[in-house]
Amino acid sequence: MRYEGNDLNKVLYVEDDADIRAIAELALQDVGGFSAKLCSSGAEAVEVAPDFQPDLILLDVMMPEMDGPETLKALRKLEATQTTPVIFMTARIQRTEIEEYLSLGALGVIPKPFDPMTLADEIRRIYQELA
Amino acid sequence: MTTEAHDQLQKRLKLLQDRFVERAQSDVETLGRFARQIEQQQLSRLGLVECYQLLHRMAGSAGTFGLPKLGAAARSIENQLKPVVEARDRQTDSPDDPIALPADLAMQIHELTELVQKSDVQTKPETADEHSHQVEDAYEGSHGMQVQVMALAHDTGYLSGLMADLQGYGFACDLVSLSESRAAIENLKQRSGATILLCQDSDLADVLRFRTDHIEKNEHRRFPVVGIGRQNTFESLYRVAEQGATAYFSEPLDMPALAERIESLALERGSRPQGRVLIVDDDKELGERYCLVLNNAGMKTKLVSDPTKMMSALSAFEPDIVLMDVQLRAHSGVTLARMIRYEPRWLGLPIVYLSSEDNPEVQLDALAKGADEFLVKPVTDEYLVRSVRIRCYRARQLSDLMNRDSLTGLLKHSLIKQEVERELARCRRSGQFSCVVMLDLDHFKKVNDTWGHGQGDIVIRTLAHLLRNRLRESDTIGRYGGEEFLVVLSDCPIEQAEELIDDIRARFSELVFTSGDDSFQVTMSAGIAAINDFPLASEAIEAADQALYERKQAGRNGVTVYQRQDRDQDD
Repeated sequence: MRYEGNDLNKVLYVEDDADIRAIAELALQDVGGFSAKLCSSGAEAVEVAPDFQPDLILLDVMMPEMDGPETLKALRKLEATQTTPVIFMTARIQRTEIEEYLSLGALGVIPKPFDPMTLADEIRRIYQELA
Repeated sequence: MTTEAHDQLQKRLKLLQDRFVERAQSDVETLGRFARQIEQQQLSRLGLVECYQLLHRMAGSAGTFGLPKLGAAARSIENQLKPVVEARDRQTDSPDDPIALPADLAMQIHELTELVQKSDVQTKPETADEHSHQVEDAYEGSHGMQVQVMALAHDTGYLSGLMADLQGYGFACDLVSLSESRAAIENLKQRSGATILLCQDSDLADVLRFRTDHIEKNEHRRFPVVGIGRQNTFESLYRVAEQGATAYFSEPLDMPALAERIESLALERGSRPQGRVLIVDDDKELGERYCLVLNNAGMKTKLVSDPTKMMSALSAFEPDIVLMDVQLRAHSGVTLARMIRYEPRWLGLPIVYLSSEDNPEVQLDALAKGADEFLVKPVTDEYLVRSVRIRCYRARQLSDLMNRDSLTGLLKHSLIKQEVERELARCRRSGQFSCVVMLDLDHFKKVNDTWGHGQGDIVIRTLAHLLRNRLRESDTIGRYGGEEFLVVLSDCPIEQAEELIDDIRARFSELVFTSGDDSFQVTMSAGIAAINDFPLASEAIEAADQALYERKQAGRNGVTVYQRQDRDQDD
């Protein structure tokens, strides 16, 4: 399924849980038609991002070592991802938390658990509304 | 996407789900070890954090893999642990020091096992929003009477102990911080029954504002606010009442009284079927219209358009009230009402006439002949709903007074015996397996002698609450004798019954009763018999009683299943 009329194609998803990565890959590539790259840590994302040049980055919030917000800070220092839109994925949806992420410059927040069949639509919706 | 690609995708999804279930099973095992440490009061700070993180991950992922119930249960436990984890963060004790947590948490963790094992994974995973709904559905089926309590506070620490205590009574408890209430609101909106909002008096204004801001005004009834405070002066009570709290309890808290108030509020405010109405009208279209209007208002209806079928419809449907057309084509409603009164069991059944007769003398005549009230046609929909609802409510209150034990609110001796007979008939009709359980408090005389009859009453009432909260709505509970209870578990095989009753026994034995500065615990024993095994209800009851007797002989605080004697196999 090709998505016409927007420039959203390459999606980078950073997530420490291998099972979630596997299902996210299906949700983004097979269901959503994106070209997706999965990373298991913030450090890996920093390494991969310059070559991959993502159009959008999905960040899990709670990760060991570098958490979501820290990863965002590190990615912002790279030329390739200085302004790339970022969406946080989190199981804790609290108003204060959402506000905090938005103030960090995130485009939006998607609650976990996500539905693999509609994740891509949700991403496109947020992207089109705000980007 | 082509069908082939779609099938391919479904296959891969299924594979991932299977893999997740495997991992979830091993996670649940790990959690089980933590639960045992909680029970032995040996959980270290490190263990607590690990346990919390594992639950957090499960809460965030299980729904994606088609196990929304597991995810929701994990989240509920995670939320209960959160204040403890955060409180510990601020303290400087050693990471190896054990942490005391309520035993009920361990129980909840153990229950996760069931959610992984029993899960037939759904092919379409649920999104976060559908979650709470799923859980709600589960409660309807598995323990329909479970009362929901949500505590709201700026500082959740104060109420966390109280919530753990209330969980001991079998309530479904959530503890939510007012600063992060968004998910709670979504959760509340999805619930069909009543939820009691519990808060400290200092947070009362904020909680009431929270309710005003997030819940439609006509829904407020389902969310009564109960305040907890330290003061008990006229001024403080007046202030609380003025703000709009439905109930108020001051410290030291009388837990059984609080539990009782919460439960009666939940029953009264729940939006469960509000009444059963039998409509007798030979104008089918009009009758169906009444049915529709009343159904929309949450009432159950049955229409009888052929009066010769009225008596059998009455026994089958067992309405709270009858709406009777005064003048049917071939029959008189007044005469039909008199016929209804021929049966002793319908002597107390309210009959309301629907009539175009507005002559008060004719009305009076009909009232004297056995009707209770007139609704003069044409009635507006709204008026019909209001007047029928209020009559149903009163009829239920009245029949409760007549049929229920005043101490426990459970069915009286004679009625619970009738229930066993009905269940036996139901088993024969449908082929389902049901059980009858005889429960008895252990050494109850000693409780009365040592702590006084007042305390004894509290123990009895507490067991009644626990039973009501742990059993399904389709189960029936009665007070059989002084400290004896009889329970009918409908459509429940004996193994399952044994497990269920033993769980209730274990929970009950953990409850601590206080009397002045002293505290004590009470245990119970139970005997179970399969109703299907007996030709008569009375024999099933006797068998359960026999099993109870055996249990008492073999050591109390346990459950025994009646074993069929050899002679029965000759049948």
